[in-house]
Amino acid sequence: MKIKEVPQDGKILEKSGEVRDVCYAVDENGDYKQVISVGWEPKNEAINYAWSIIEEEAEAIKKDVEAGKLSPLAFHIHKNVMTPEILASYTGFSKREIRRWCKPRHFSNLDRERLEKIASVLKIGVDQLVRVN
Amino acid sequence: MQLDFNHKPSGHCENGVVSNLLGFYGVNISEAMVFGLGSGLFFAHMPFIKLHGMAVTSFRPLPGAIFSRVMSLLGIKMKRYKFRDREKAMAALDKVLLRGVPVGMLVGVYNLPYFPKEYRFHFNAHNICVIGKEGDVYTVSDPVVVDKCTLTSEELKLVRFAKGTYPPSGRMYHITDVSNKKDIDNESIRRSILLNCNRMIRIPVPMFGVKGIRFLAGRMRRWERRMGSKRAALNLAQVIRMNEEIGTGGAGFRFIYAAFLQEAAGVMNLPELRKFSEEMTAAGDMWRDFSYNAARMFKKRDGDTVTYDILADKLLRIADKEESIFRGLEKLMKNVR
Repeated sequence: MKIKEVPQDGKILEKSGEVRDVCYAVDENGDYKQVISVGWEPKNEAINYAWSIIEEEAEAIKKDVEAGKLSPLAFHIHKNVMTPEILASYTGFSKREIRRWCKPRHFSNLDRERLEKIASVLKIGVDQLVRVN
Repeated sequence: MQLDFNHKPSGHCENGVVSNLLGFYGVNISEAMVFGLGSGLFFAHMPFIKLHGMAVTSFRPLPGAIFSRVMSLLGIKMKRYKFRDREKAMAALDKVLLRGVPVGMLVGVYNLPYFPKEYRFHFNAHNICVIGKEGDVYTVSDPVVVDKCTLTSEELKLVRFAKGTYPPSGRMYHITDVSNKKDIDNESIRRSILLNCNRMIRIPVPMFGVKGIRFLAGRMRRWERRMGSKRAALNLAQVIRMNEEIGTGGAGFRFIYAAFLQEAAGVMNLPELRKFSEEMTAAGDMWRDFSYNAARMFKKRDGDTVTYDILADKLLRIADKEESIFRGLEKLMKNVR
């Protein structure tokens, strides 16, 4: 990669803070130099694609929640790119418990204390945790 | 308390932290040299380790490997820690920091507040360096950020104990003694290049090194049939993110390694290495070409002819290219002495 070829497609990095890519590229003498880049379109697309799929799947889960097949917890886990395993290790509950609470029947039996613990890990309020919008 | 720490952003987080840490002790070694001495170039495609339910593709050895390797080559003593208890992990950090020692550590990026939201996946192999503390706020040198930044102790605790694939478990490391420091000599460069050659072409398991690139190519051809076009594209997106992501970049690593070979050519007075540096640059460009074409998969329009077979063929060509580079390097390094 030559210095003038270093991409500067700042769709994601430019708008938020000071995170940057440091690229290595060769100058006209063939010597390597560091160049700061604000991003590259193919990478931005890969990231956006991954998020769009997550959104799409979360929407599908939302429908299941509204149909009474899944609990709001399942929606929030997916929206936070988590898995029951990850949420289990953050909250200290077991994987089995988290999986069970993904079903509406068991979710409605959760007490306030447990709801608060889960909500704090997901960085939302309890009132948001029990809803999907 | 703030340490007099020179923060330099870098292409890869671990190199950057190691290079900045060494700089604090007056040992000035470039990021590229750290990467090369640490034999940092790698490839692994591991279906048995999952991240977001997909096989992990990695372009680097396990976190911490570069640090340990460079320190042992330079004869510098260091210490590494791992914790189970969060409070103990923070207390240990404070204790070392208050002695005036900057501390490198492994964190997860999911809860890093200064990271753009889009980058916050459950990726747990990011390196930062803690270089000061005022009240409850730590000063942090993160190689992917232009300037120094800050984290509260709650935030730091959270990212040090991130969960998911390869949890960091509060891992931290620092330099303890530089009194027996050796200079970089031809022999240590030679050995680290040979080690990197070994990693890339001699591991007898199909998942690692150039064999791993071919392995990924083979699996990629079957993705669409096995899991449908959407899931296949998601897997591809994960490979590209790993390939190009901040601080982990795959194509970027090829360029850093090329920069290292260039520097090594000067140190060893071996102009042939400059040739290999050019070859490695070409390999990096091939990776970029791969990413560029792979990204077309995400918004595939009618008439766009890119397929997984085409991408897999590109990977095979990259594998051949890198194999020839490392075979050549190995031969050169064996004959140098």
